[in-house]
Amino acid sequence: MKTWEYIVRRLLLLIPVLLGVTVITFVVSHVIPADPAMAFAGGPKAQPETIARIRAELHLDKPLIIQYFYYLNDLIHFNLGKSYLENRPVTECISQYFPATFELTIFAMLITVPLGIVGGIISAIKRDKPIDHVTRFIAIVGYSLPIFWLALMLQYLFAYQLPVFPLEGRLPIGVSSPPSFTGLYVLDSLLSGDLVKCGQAIYHLIMPAFTLGFATLALILRMTRSSMLETLGMDYIRTARAKGLPERDVVYKHALRNALIPTVTVVGLQFGALLAGAVLTETIFNWPGMGRFAASAVLALDFNSVMGFTIVVALIYVIANLIVDLLYGILDPRVRLE
Amino acid sequence: MKIFLTAGICLVMVLVSLSGCVQQGKSIKNPNTIVNYTIGDPKTLDPADAYDSASIDIINQIYDRLVMYKGGDTSTFYPALAINWTVSNDSKVWTFHLRKGVKFSNGNPFTAEDVKYSFDRVLIMNSPESGVAWILSQCMDLNSTKVLDNYTVQITLTQPYGGFLALIAFSVASIVDKETVEAHGGVVANTTNEWMKEHAVGTGPYKLDHWTHKTEVVLVKNEYYWGGWEGKHVDRVVIKIAEEAATRILALKNGDADFAYIPLANVEDVKGAEGISYSIGPSYNVVLGILNTKSDNKFMADKNVRKALSYAFNYDSAIKDAYNGYLTRLPGAIPKGMPYYDTQNSGTPVYNYNLTKAEEILDAAGYTKNDDGYRFNGTTFRIFYNAGNEERQKMALSFQQELTKIGVVSSVTSEGWPQLLHRMFSTTDWDFIFMGWMPDYNDPDDYIYPFIGSADIGGDTFNHGWKNETVDQLILKAKYSADPEVRRDAYEKAFQIYINDPPIIFIGQNMQVHFQRDWVQGYVYNPVVEFYYYDYYKAYE
Repeated sequence: MKTWEYIVRRLLLLIPVLLGVTVITFVVSHVIPADPAMAFAGGPKAQPETIARIRAELHLDKPLIIQYFYYLNDLIHFNLGKSYLENRPVTECISQYFPATFELTIFAMLITVPLGIVGGIISAIKRDKPIDHVTRFIAIVGYSLPIFWLALMLQYLFAYQLPVFPLEGRLPIGVSSPPSFTGLYVLDSLLSGDLVKCGQAIYHLIMPAFTLGFATLALILRMTRSSMLETLGMDYIRTARAKGLPERDVVYKHALRNALIPTVTVVGLQFGALLAGAVLTETIFNWPGMGRFAASAVLALDFNSVMGFTIVVALIYVIANLIVDLLYGILDPRVRLE
Repeated sequence: MKIFLTAGICLVMVLVSLSGCVQQGKSIKNPNTIVNYTIGDPKTLDPADAYDSASIDIINQIYDRLVMYKGGDTSTFYPALAINWTVSNDSKVWTFHLRKGVKFSNGNPFTAEDVKYSFDRVLIMNSPESGVAWILSQCMDLNSTKVLDNYTVQITLTQPYGGFLALIAFSVASIVDKETVEAHGGVVANTTNEWMKEHAVGTGPYKLDHWTHKTEVVLVKNEYYWGGWEGKHVDRVVIKIAEEAATRILALKNGDADFAYIPLANVEDVKGAEGISYSIGPSYNVVLGILNTKSDNKFMADKNVRKALSYAFNYDSAIKDAYNGYLTRLPGAIPKGMPYYDTQNSGTPVYNYNLTKAEEILDAAGYTKNDDGYRFNGTTFRIFYNAGNEERQKMALSFQQELTKIGVVSSVTSEGWPQLLHRMFSTTDWDFIFMGWMPDYNDPDDYIYPFIGSADIGGDTFNHGWKNETVDQLILKAKYSADPEVRRDAYEKAFQIYINDPPIIFIGQNMQVHFQRDWVQGYVYNPVVEFYYYDYYKAYE
């Protein structure tokens, strides 16, 4: 099978996956006895005609199965419906929040992946040396620190006591967003030639990206270290050393490629998970992203938003897994398709 | 290892020493901008369909009404776009003389046509997303507003309404620019104007610079503002939306925020902080316990049971433990500060925490304890509150304890807001639900009519099912009279009836704890219009 055939097949598999996801999410979110129409219309203050109008719009007055088919019909027409929580179309919400989360995730990964891999390699090579202890300590701290605590501490230290980083947000207070091409402020401000705004956007990304990436850094550090240690103990490494190859070549040419496979898996899955939004980081740093959007939608039973979010996340996971699978082939010729 | 340890210690020392260097001086951050860190993204900027406080707060800065409140005064209506007004003897015909030379923020002149257009627009659009149009439609129709000349309008009410000026001081009665609205979709019956949701052209002191959803709304001064810009004002206003309390607190402490919404649970964290001042005032927000008279627990239909429950509620505990002291007692439906508050037993609560009295009432009504010490044969009284509301959770648990002491079995359950609404309005399996109420406009009718009026007259907002025809008549009499004595008498009589057959436990009235940087001047708390940024400026005085 050729690579492109494989990609097409995997993408076609998206259809049943998405169908399954919509069925499960739809049923789970609709079985709770609740009155979201009244909540959106204003609670006890709601006027009966407003409630009736929202019920009709959401087809809540129809049987569940009919509601689902209405939903599917809209979905086929790329209409995710209206978010009653935000009083605007779900697509508009997602097109604002997803780029914010994407930008944050990219920066978190830019910080954590190189640090994690290099740290893991050094830790493995210098096993049981002080630097290995330090790396392992960082990994344990990263695992154990609750992310909200880390975020609050960083804010307190670097935005209040020592005000070197901004407290929250994507841009300074009162600064309007750059013209939207991609929704990524760093890229959009570059494209519009506004270098000051680009700098401001990067500056605002540092603390939340570090917070978000810290737990992932720990994961990558540990994964790379253990994988490298395992690989470095293998026979072919011994052979390479016996042949007199320089240690640098042994580590980076022979060991690293093999050792990276589990790390790539972890990075891929983490990337997908982070793109689904990090509620705590986004809430504390006031980052208008997918996590915050999803959390408030679930609490308010904003069906359309919940469904829209789930579909986007399912898409991300499937695509992230596909990319990981393709990367395997690049790293290890034995798992290539041809 | 030693190297890292030394480096770590050095870093901490540097941080500590630098933090000392960055003590707040007397400099003012962003001297020409007021920044308010708050919660809740506005739902719309269209005054004809805005019913949430986040939207109304912005609309109040961009648009004007015919009359307005000033400072902390809630009892007087001051001229805004109307400079004076007269009312006919039967209180039905109001004539407003309008301010001349006023311009909208786009430079268009303001005339009487805009007033008629704005009021009719509310009635025709009928607020499809929020339902707020009822505030005007309860006493106005499309024939009500007449343009007498360019600067005079006459409003003929469908029936006299005691609180009419309060209605037109509310954001729904904001005056929009006819030309602008017509150029962007006009008015379509029962249909939202999408352009007006995101844009705003008004005659108010500020105009919209930009609105980034869930992030911030930025307003800049409207150069055409009729009030002028002499004197002390700020040029920009930023309303930042930050859902996390810790973020808002830090923003206030480091001076990014001039105002910040601080929940009651965090008040002590901020009080006394350097550079921050606070003030406390009674808000019009009230805390209620709804007693379900049509519960499937038939005992709830008996007024003696509801009276006993009113005595069993520990009001002091609610004030001290749940609200940290930021709650005052509420004698009836009308909160303190509103007209006719004193018609409720001169403002003294009828029910106080008294378990002996509660037991006496239940015993006298025949609800004695069985051999196991339980009344009502062990029937469980079901108490509910909305999940996440810590104050209500504390009150619910306290109430449960008190009920146990008098032999009443009870359960406490929290539910998400949509689930709780479903229970309250679509089922009968609840006995007691904690609720709250915020004002729409400054008139007691906005409280007593929905709280006490029955469903037959359009009341019973909390679906407690209570009904008394005499009270209904009294409430309608007060509602549709502009005579203060008639209203006073009706409210007094209604109170005497409903308080002895209570459908609601009137728990308390929230205190508003307002925090701000001490460099902000001019802020005066008003329970009806919380912020009016035109009055504020930044300086040390």
